Amino acid sequence: MTHPALTERPEKRPRTGARPGPGPGPATVRRRRLRGLATVALFILPALVLYGLLVLAPIAIAAYTSMFRWNGLGGWPEDFVGLDNFTRLFDSDVFHGDLRNGLIIIVLSLLVQLPFALGLALLLNRRMRGRAVYRLLFFAPYVLSEVITGVLFSLILSPESGLANQLLRAVGLEELERAWLADPSTVLPALFAVMTWKYFGFYMILFLAGRQGIPAELGEAAAIDGATAWEQFRHVTLPLLGPTIRIAAFLSIIGTVQLFDLVWVLTGGGPDHASETLAVTMFQFGFKRTQVGYASAISVVMFLLSMIFALAYLRFVMRRDTQGAVTTMGDHR
Amino acid sequence: MSLRRRGLVMGAAITAASLLLGGCGGGSENGSEASPGGKVTIEWWHIGTAEPNKTIYDGWAKAYQAQHPNVTIKVTPMENDAFKSKMATVTTAASAPDIFSTWGGGVLKQQLDAGIVKDFGDVNAIGKFTSAALAAYQIDGKTYGIPVDVGMVGFWYNKKLFAEAGVTEPPATWPAFLDAVKKLKAAGITPIALAGKEKWPGHYYWTYLAMRMAGLDALKQAATTHDFTGAGFVAAGRKLKELVDLEPFQKGFLNAAYSTPDGQAATVGSGKAAMELMGQWAPSVQKDAGGGIGEDLGFFPFPAVEGGQGAATEALGGGNGFAIGADAPAEAVDFLKFISQMDNHKKFVESGAGLPALAGGEEAIKDANLKTVATTLAGATGFQLYLDQAYPPAVGQEINDSVAGLIAGSKTPEEVAAAITETAKAEG
Amino acid sequence: MSRRRPAGPSRAKGLSLHLLAVLLAAFVLVPILFGVLGGFKDNAQLATNPFGLPAPWHPENYTEVLGSVSFWRQIGNSVLVALATTVLVVGLSALAAFAFARFAFRGREVLFTIFTAGLMFPFAVAILPLFVLMRAFGLLDNPLGVILVQAAFGLPMTIIILRGFFAGVPREVEEAAVIDGCTPFGVFWRVLLPMARPALATVSVLAIVASWNNFFLPLAVFNDPDWWTIPLGVQQFQGQYSSDIARTLAYVVLAMVPALAFYAVAERHLISGLTAGATKG
Repeated sequence: MTHPALTERPEKRPRTGARPGPGPGPATVRRRRLRGLATVALFILPALVLYGLLVLAPIAIAAYTSMFRWNGLGGWPEDFVGLDNFTRLFDSDVFHGDLRNGLIIIVLSLLVQLPFALGLALLLNRRMRGRAVYRLLFFAPYVLSEVITGVLFSLILSPESGLANQLLRAVGLEELERAWLADPSTVLPALFAVMTWKYFGFYMILFLAGRQGIPAELGEAAAIDGATAWEQFRHVTLPLLGPTIRIAAFLSIIGTVQLFDLVWVLTGGGPDHASETLAVTMFQFGFKRTQVGYASAISVVMFLLSMIFALAYLRFVMRRDTQGAVTTMGDHR
Repeated sequence: MSLRRRGLVMGAAITAASLLLGGCGGGSENGSEASPGGKVTIEWWHIGTAEPNKTIYDGWAKAYQAQHPNVTIKVTPMENDAFKSKMATVTTAASAPDIFSTWGGGVLKQQLDAGIVKDFGDVNAIGKFTSAALAAYQIDGKTYGIPVDVGMVGFWYNKKLFAEAGVTEPPATWPAFLDAVKKLKAAGITPIALAGKEKWPGHYYWTYLAMRMAGLDALKQAATTHDFTGAGFVAAGRKLKELVDLEPFQKGFLNAAYSTPDGQAATVGSGKAAMELMGQWAPSVQKDAGGGIGEDLGFFPFPAVEGGQGAATEALGGGNGFAIGADAPAEAVDFLKFISQMDNHKKFVESGAGLPALAGGEEAIKDANLKTVATTLAGATGFQLYLDQAYPPAVGQEINDSVAGLIAGSKTPEEVAAAITETAKAEG
Repeated sequence: MSRRRPAGPSRAKGLSLHLLAVLLAAFVLVPILFGVLGGFKDNAQLATNPFGLPAPWHPENYTEVLGSVSFWRQIGNSVLVALATTVLVVGLSALAAFAFARFAFRGREVLFTIFTAGLMFPFAVAILPLFVLMRAFGLLDNPLGVILVQAAFGLPMTIIILRGFFAGVPREVEEAAVIDGCTPFGVFWRVLLPMARPALATVSVLAIVASWNNFFLPLAVFNDPDWWTIPLGVQQFQGQYSSDIARTLAYVVLAMVPALAFYAVAERHLISGLTAGATKG
């Protein structure tokens, strides 16, 4: 996701804080051009080879194998079926369910998790005792692997001996007890709660960085003008946090498209596909049912979905951020 | 950006990289070769994570290593579902461990196609297995696996809970069975425990009903015609629907596993549900995961269903077996020979972990219920291997998955038949 | 927050903010504490006494895990894979980022865009074809099969962050070196790389954490238990000891320790890296 403003930056003069000075002399530039290609190749080729082979080529391979009936055995597929795998996929209830589940998680993330993290970031931006400790603590789950998180929460959410239901029983809320991960109506909220536990700290950190980039004077000026705390938030903080919020939303959505580890460990996609995601379906078919051609079609669809989304998002939502936003994030380490 | 240029760059990168990486691809062979007298390591994957299997398998490995100091057996016990996915991956990767669990059938056939299993040659040299036990592992007259046990699936029930609900004798017909379920429910007892998350326990119901309604021949035929839409298969689904509509399963069964503390076996083993439809290992897993219900446990075969092709004496079953990886050392075969010796085999049978696969092992059965299973199986007039193993993985998994959908209430009997047919036609 | 007066410190508000923070801290901590304490209980205690302290304490669960060969082997594998991935991705990225920041050449922006596009597509998309590729290269059950792929997928983020850093270094530094007779590689190796230490630390920490937690790729590549990394081990352990919750909890807790310890040490780098990576990408 290159915004022109950022990739052009190396060409421009150094940012605030760096000394102004003359650019490279014409002689230097010419010399560089002469040695040019060989040197450039030396520096870039190793990375490019690895990237091309292991990041770009797999997409092409998936596109190729998605057009075959193939159980994955042997060298390469032979039984060409055209777009058959795709028509079957688009017909399948599981696929529709995956899209629906993904959409629900995205909506929940945008409406609950991000605002929650934002509120928290604003809270921790105040001078309050223990702020550093809270920040350290809230971010900690992000460092744990999804598998560890999943195993831990699968034990916490189990219907009989799980901590969640035992807590509810202990405080006399037996009627709220659920078989959290076993009930198609509670499994997505339960999964989302675990995701929130794991990821809210990450978004909080992003927002904190963004918030700290907003000069305090702006808020003070607004306060002098008689703005209430809410008005300050609404008209000063929120707009200035716009770029950060848009990036957070982007990361959250792209992350949901490939959600696998947590779901795999917590529910395996169940009950009855109620928490299944595209990545889980792909794994089921590719690595369990040995329907590799069909699973490749799922990979291709995932790729197209995220690519189209990303391009559209960059084009329509994040465009203005690239054209001189007030805050330059990333400068705030 | 110019697409053409990007294509060029990519092409160059791939060529360069394949040259580069091709150089380091060859050196990673790690097949263990037989070397007489030298150090040999045997990789052994099995699914005996519950007692007494775990102890017995470990015991076999230790005893063999004590006799053969040059051999190290690396045992990796895996949970059933994890093992099945891992094996699917290994099959595609064409690199198998030296010894691994198998149930034979279409899954073993695919492993054979992938070239990861080895023919045992003269299987009689390994052990005197009963032909019933051996059948599932034989493909085109060759033997690719040896049985550790063989048995059948049936209802394991809690006599005390049945009596409390006023069910005086085990139901022999489907209506009587449904009636028993209703009585249990009315008495406030969870009639049936089911591991909905793992799906294979649920497929037993549909398979048995398909055997009763469509018949064994229809199941055999469907393997080649890929057509499961016949009236018998739909009728099987309808019968299962009758049961599901009674809501007979425990709370949270949709995400319950089989052998976990909240799982199917534990629910029956701790007296919280009246029965489960399970194979011959059920009593030992109930005991391991839920404590067991001792004398209260009873066994009855899957009831007769009126109006179908199949008889009540036809059994669904199979057993645990072991296959040998294509690159396995000779010691791996020798080890399987070792565990198939009568005294070692008897340890397994005596523990109640399973039923004998060796001719003449019957007297080692101690448990009265397992004796019933053995006699019922011996008197069976027909036999069907677990469907999720008998058919190729894609079809078997589709059966598990569709039936799970039926049990969860999201698929109709017709949709189950159609979904299995579609997968069988597309992937078979 | 909808007070109708300019914000000012008020005791009640301060208190409620603290209360909120404490509640959230509990939300984060309780699951972890449940794991830590649960590991010291036996299964009967877990059912009857889920909240209290273990009585009596059962350290066996922990000591048995710590005494098992496979646990340490998995830690070792995770360390090996993480370090190798990091060296590879940081090394290759630094070279490329230097070129992107310092050389003017045709197609530079196109190339850079191709790299940054990698941030957009989900890793899960590539897993199946990667499996097929690794099989063709004979890299299944080989740590290289995971290391190379992780490094490849780490390139975009690392290059972006390092390019940003190199671009921020004043050119005079470099020109002085060129006048002293340094080749471009000399400039890179002797001048810019040492200066970039903080940025290198940041990207290294990111790479280590990503590798340490990776599950999907090792799940597909490592079939041989000898190569299993910690996340694979945790999942396998839960399956193998499914009837023993306390022991599983102990394993999970011990598997958390390295990550949390690393976080405690490298927290600053991790957070600056994540914010930089997210906002610049």
